[in-house]
Amino acid sequence: MNCEDCKGLITAFMDNDLDESRAASVRQHLARCGECALVCEDLASIVDVCSNEGDSLLPENNSHQMWCRINNILENEQKAVQQQIVPEPPRRGLWHLSFWQLASGLACIAIVSSLLTVVAIRNYYEPAATDSIAQTTSRTFVDRVLMKVGLAETPQQQIERKLRDRQAAIEYWNARVQTRRNQWDNTTRAAFDRNMREIDDSVNEYTTILQRDPEDDLSSEMLDSVLNDKMNLLRDFSDL
Amino acid sequence: MSWVQNSGLLKTTVAMLGVVFFLFCAGDVPAQKKFSRTYPAGQSVRLKLVNRTGTVTIEGWSKAEVSIQASMEAPTANIQPQSLSGEIVVNLVRDNQGRGEVGIVNFLIRVPYYTMVDIETMVGNLTVSNISGGLVRAHISTEGDITLLNIGASNVAADNVTGDIFFDGELQEGGNYRFSSNKGNIGLRIPFNSSFKVVATAPSTRDISFYQCAGPDLSLLGDGRRMVGKCGSGSATLSVTNQRGSIKFYRR
Repeated sequence: MNCEDCKGLITAFMDNDLDESRAASVRQHLARCGECALVCEDLASIVDVCSNEGDSLLPENNSHQMWCRINNILENEQKAVQQQIVPEPPRRGLWHLSFWQLASGLACIAIVSSLLTVVAIRNYYEPAATDSIAQTTSRTFVDRVLMKVGLAETPQQQIERKLRDRQAAIEYWNARVQTRRNQWDNTTRAAFDRNMREIDDSVNEYTTILQRDPEDDLSSEMLDSVLNDKMNLLRDFSDL
Repeated sequence: MSWVQNSGLLKTTVAMLGVVFFLFCAGDVPAQKKFSRTYPAGQSVRLKLVNRTGTVTIEGWSKAEVSIQASMEAPTANIQPQSLSGEIVVNLVRDNQGRGEVGIVNFLIRVPYYTMVDIETMVGNLTVSNISGGLVRAHISTEGDITLLNIGASNVAADNVTGDIFFDGELQEGGNYRFSSNKGNIGLRIPFNSSFKVVATAPSTRDISFYQCAGPDLSLLGDGRRMVGKCGSGSATLSVTNQRGSIKFYRR
């Protein structure tokens, strides 16, 4: 009889459920094998404890159920020991990101750094105060690229936006002027109208030029200037 | 009747017609009122004048006082100057706000030459002379000529819609000078050795004539509509814009 056979029969042996010949074989093996003898002693101790603790732990005449319980307890203990031994998986901290999180983070960094680079280059090539006028007619390469990809306004869009902003302010002041102009004397009214016409002529002139050539920065600047003059004229007369 | 009698009658008739004519003419001339006030000036003085219609003449003098004289046509304007901590403010727009018709007011103001002068008017000519303070600003809302003579201020601004602008003075180191008109001619008379950066724009006429300054570095842009560059080291900044007129530089 080997150890495996002995362990398979040891519970029945302790319960005196074996016939005499097999019980004699187990007994011989236990006499020879210290390891199996130790297992037998352990089981005997458990049986003793159960006997001492109470009858409830030992169902009557049902050794198989008892051993199943014991095995379950042993297996649970072994699992618990294994769980203690197995190292805990490292906690998912901030630096433990999924691939997609990592990829999107890198993409964000790339975009932000690209934009910063563009801004830095634009600032680096920003015309100095002395020659700002000289360079207004030529856009930088970066500007053109940004316009192409839609990140910057085209000249036409810039003009339209400026016109809208100015026009809003002009309408406000004009409304104030219209409420007061009836109170003015004829000389003042005539001077106002005459000079407003002059300014409007200039506005129309630059607007026409810019419709033909939206990239004419100088005309755009002049248009902005005369619209500013118009607003100032209205504002001055709105106080009368 | 004798010739002598006819002659007497003629004289009487002519004399009576003369009186009638005088009364007729006198009736057409608006009644004028005078305004005069004097203020003591300290080491730092600033004059701010806002006129409605009329000429304004500012003259710098060596006295430490500000003399304001005005002749007013009917309907007479209210003038209520205010003097607060070195600043004298005359604002006819504010003082006559809501009044429909206000007569022309012509000002003659004498100030210490170191005064900062800030003048605005709706309609009328402005003349400023002999001022070397920190600021000369002349603004006409509509039409009128601006004449700045013997100016040594470090900040000068003059703008109108219609009318000529003429500046005769020195450009101070680090100073700012800005002249702008919509329709008129701009003339600048400055010393040969002036040091300044310049941007002169005359988009409609392209009529920009520069004088022979010291160490010029100038170029034309935008099909001749604008001239940029500098003379000397370029310490002052000069900006001139004339939408529909000429720009001319003269050597002082």
